[in-house]
Amino acid sequence: MEKRTIAGLAAAATLVVAAIGARMLPAPRVIVAEDVVEEGPRIVEPMQFLGKGAALRAPELDEWIAAERKPRFKALRDLAFHVADCPETVEWIDSAEGQRLERLLGELRGGTREEAFASLVLVFQLARATTWKPGFLSQAREANAERMASLLADWLRARGESGARDPLLAEPARAAILVYGRLMRTAQQSPRIGENAGSYQRGLKTIEELVGIDSGRRTALGESLQGRHPEALRKLVGDADRLRGFDDEARTLFPDLSGECDG
Amino acid sequence: MSALPERSATGGIVLGAILIGVGGLLLGLQVDANGAWCGTGLAPLAIGALLALGAIAVRVGSSTGRMPRDDVGIAAVVAGFFGLTFAIGGALAPGGPWMFFEVLLLVAVVTLRKADARTGRWIAPSALGLLAVFLLFRLWISYQGSQLRWQVMSVDVPVVSWIPFDFLDPVKHVALGSFTPLEMGFPPAGLDFALSTTLWALGFAACVAGMMLVQSSTIEHENDRIHALIRTLPPSVADVVERLLPEDEWRELGLHGLPERRLARRIESAVAERVRRQDALRRALEQSKMLGNSADADGFSADIRRALTGEDPKDGVR
Repeated sequence: MEKRTIAGLAAAATLVVAAIGARMLPAPRVIVAEDVVEEGPRIVEPMQFLGKGAALRAPELDEWIAAERKPRFKALRDLAFHVADCPETVEWIDSAEGQRLERLLGELRGGTREEAFASLVLVFQLARATTWKPGFLSQAREANAERMASLLADWLRARGESGARDPLLAEPARAAILVYGRLMRTAQQSPRIGENAGSYQRGLKTIEELVGIDSGRRTALGESLQGRHPEALRKLVGDADRLRGFDDEARTLFPDLSGECDG
Repeated sequence: MSALPERSATGGIVLGAILIGVGGLLLGLQVDANGAWCGTGLAPLAIGALLALGAIAVRVGSSTGRMPRDDVGIAAVVAGFFGLTFAIGGALAPGGPWMFFEVLLLVAVVTLRKADARTGRWIAPSALGLLAVFLLFRLWISYQGSQLRWQVMSVDVPVVSWIPFDFLDPVKHVALGSFTPLEMGFPPAGLDFALSTTLWALGFAACVAGMMLVQSSTIEHENDRIHALIRTLPPSVADVVERLLPEDEWRELGLHGLPERRLARRIESAVAERVRRQDALRRALEQSKMLGNSADADGFSADIRRALTGEDPKDGVR
């Protein structure tokens, strides 16, 4: 055989061996961020801060807030956990205290991960203490749910993707996107007759961007969501009512987040 | 005139083998939803190897199949084996009952089917077509899986599916051909459908192209070997032998794959047979000339007579 033939066959043999070897390449394991145990002082069991008993542990957050923001945080945290009479969300956020809280939330979102977490705790508390589900006689029927959802969307855009890989923020980020889906579905179903297609489409678009359905490549948050709430993602891509999975999962996780302060 | 040198049969086999290697490599990889590369697993490859081995054994054992007689011939058979192995391994559903159903079909259509005696191709186009259909099916269920739909298709139940009550969900649709993520061999992070299926489709195309090239080059290579043996005769005798036994008929005459000694005997007996036939024909022709002139006959009979004696047709139509 000619040298060229031998070289060619050797190249082919190498490729065949590589082809068999390639099949044995292991798939990378999915490491769930919240399973990573961090060294040193940390916020343990972060989901307790988002649950019904958040008020019991909320003061623990103060020590994680930067000194220049701490006084404001303490004051506004206290305020958020003592909202009385279940006001409408828009009404409360547009009040002087609400505007101060909204500004603080913006600052905290851009701060350390503990501060970002603290901001999410305040948003969840607001969702628990204000009315965003329209009653029969409500006028601005979808505005409350939309406004509450926008607070979560802001947080998710700023911290959702990085949070999905963070042991502290992974579970809260998932909770945030599920509740966001629930709020947008509530806004969608707010009209007395028919549905609000704008809210539905807005909610879908935001969620698709956050989980990476649109690009065909899932984001870390989408990945994390698929691992823990596959039904929500399945319905997102394959159900006629695409936000329903998020709504259902959020209701299961946070039955007290009813939008009517009756939890 | 082409600027490229003519491709030899050996060159074709080498190129085909390289194409098969590249195809196998592409079919062995997938990309997960995080963009990480991983393997598609050994199970389908093992089944592919088993079926390919069966196919080769059936062909070697059949009347038309012969053993390779030199290093290049052996390389061609090995390349063909891996080509078929990779193509089957890449086209099969990665696991579950679907895979075994496909295996049964392949056993019937690919493994147990004998090589085409006329063309010498041991993988028929219909078998490659079946593999292509399996690949399409695999791409489809991979797409369904990448969309988190774990069935081949879902059919809406008329009327019930139009009723907007959540509690009716379980009976609103009928899932046809369900499967699980485990059967699909998806990486834990999920599949990057677009990139992975592009790799598989390209890999399959490269494998099939490589197999076709190896097959046709192997036939050419065998013809070269027979031609080389005939050319050891004095040139005038070799010319007569090649006119008596045209190259197109060498495979049908069973000359391919024979060891040199048996090949020489087979050529000798084939030449003797052809010469006997030519003699018989010549005698018959001479007898027919004695039967009379075709000029005074008409119709089909006259035309045939004229054709046998090599005369021009009466109406000038040839």
